[in-house]
Amino acid sequence: MANELLFFMEVLVGGLLAGTMYSLVALGFVLIFKASATFNFSQGAMVFFSVLAFCGFMQDFNIPFVLAFILAAFLMVVVGLCTERLVLRPLMNASEDTVLMATIGLGYVLEGLAQAAWGVEVRRLDLGIGDFPVPWIADNLKLFISALDITAGLVAAIMIIGLFLLFKYTKIGLGLRAVADDAGAASSIGIPLKHIMLLVWSAAGVVALVAGMMWGARAGVQFALVDLALKALPVLIIGGFSSIPGAIIGGLIIGAVEKILEVYIGPFFGGAIEGWAPYVLAIFFLLYRPEGLFGEKIIRRV
Amino acid sequence: MSNNSINILDIKNIEVMYDNVILALHDVSLKVPKGKVVALLGANGAGKSTTLKAVSTMLASERGKVTKGSIDYDGNSIEKQNPSQMVGLGMVQVLEGRRCFGHLTVEENIISGAYSRKLSKGDIDQELEKIYSYFLRLKERRKSQAAFTSGGEQQMIAVARAMMAKPKMLLLDEPTMGLAPQLVAEIFNIVKELNQKEGVSILLAEQNTNIALKNSDYGYIIETGKVMLEGTAESLLNNDKVKELYLGISKKGRKNFRDVLKEESLNKKIN
Repeated sequence: MANELLFFMEVLVGGLLAGTMYSLVALGFVLIFKASATFNFSQGAMVFFSVLAFCGFMQDFNIPFVLAFILAAFLMVVVGLCTERLVLRPLMNASEDTVLMATIGLGYVLEGLAQAAWGVEVRRLDLGIGDFPVPWIADNLKLFISALDITAGLVAAIMIIGLFLLFKYTKIGLGLRAVADDAGAASSIGIPLKHIMLLVWSAAGVVALVAGMMWGARAGVQFALVDLALKALPVLIIGGFSSIPGAIIGGLIIGAVEKILEVYIGPFFGGAIEGWAPYVLAIFFLLYRPEGLFGEKIIRRV
Repeated sequence: MSNNSINILDIKNIEVMYDNVILALHDVSLKVPKGKVVALLGANGAGKSTTLKAVSTMLASERGKVTKGSIDYDGNSIEKQNPSQMVGLGMVQVLEGRRCFGHLTVEENIISGAYSRKLSKGDIDQELEKIYSYFLRLKERRKSQAAFTSGGEQQMIAVARAMMAKPKMLLLDEPTMGLAPQLVAEIFNIVKELNQKEGVSILLAEQNTNIALKNSDYGYIIETGKVMLEGTAESLLNNDKVKELYLGISKKGRKNFRDVLKEESLNKKIN
């Protein structure tokens, strides 16, 4: 009995920590959704682009870890700048659907650029953190939990606190929240939309880089990262597209549920239900709570 | 460049089109003298909001364009400006329908108005206190989420937010829409006070002809994108046609200005 409970705990904690990796990817989507009410389909490509650049800097140019990270983050700011100038500004008065299509296009451009610059082979990324159980926890708590999962959890926590402070206590954060509420009114009192767009796209780029590093360390830096980012979709449907806490908790729920389902129900379906179980959960949310757990309630006057 | 003319705003014969096909304004000219309150009156769809948005350069975001005529603010053409530049120059629009930031607190809403200015924390607090002295009601509710305040309070938030940008000129688009008479009076008192104590020039679009004229120096009446009548507020209030058409003092049914003018010219011909 005690062993079964321990096993359940292990599955749960492992799932929750793995879920923070989804949360990290989902965070990038939320940032852009808040500011421009658009689902950024290029977020997956941004993850791939940024982490491939990071690997490139480190492995092809032998740039040390910290400097490579700063360079890659700076590169993502440049990407944000170009996106604002070349994609968003010309489409400023276009419909949200048009911007959505533009982000799909932007995704292809980034994927292409990344592979043209750094090659198409799968790269190994060693962060110096192993993806194996931490001995201390295994000995004392009898739980087998990966060091990489714990790191991802910590990194996610730090980023969330950082973003929270940025939004709540800085001037540009206030501007961003104002734009998220009513872009027209924000522009009427002189909040420059282009600065806000630049900020969110850069922040989303840096978040993509961090998420990419975590995923890259686990699964290798490869093209599959682009599709993996789509796992953020059920996370966002559950958490709500416009909520940062929602992205975090949605990620945790998806991580925990998919692991628990895989272990306890998976065998009845012949296993490997991890891949699609989150989408089933998302469908239930779409049916019964379409705004997600933390999303802004969709109010429509009849 | 300093402007020595007495008009802070000078609109000359503008024509405005939406989507390159819909003609919203045919021919609108109006002047706002420095430090005065000017009312722009007319029914729904007459072109009041379009005129204000042409001035604040917010037309572009609705695919509108000034196709003829000119708009000078403080002595300079506004042609090449964008909304945030206009705010920087001291021209702030309070949009129709209040448009508060619902998820922000009342105080955050007001502070957001100072976004274009470089103020220290202390300066902001000082400005806030000054603003609250006009909007006492908002001070009590400073920590509430704006979405949960009443319509009148939201209108005050919108005006307070605009005042935080330290405007030389305010464009108010139907500030009393949907408000109870008592609140309408309260809002107008505040507007009048801001005009007198802060020296803000005001262009006010209203459907509420009576109270708007009572609180203005000068008025323009527009209909289907054209200025039909202008004059001092007093003269408009005493004008028989205005009384009949806009103040509801009439024996016959509703008419518009064009009908009256037609009738007049017919009468002239007969005589």
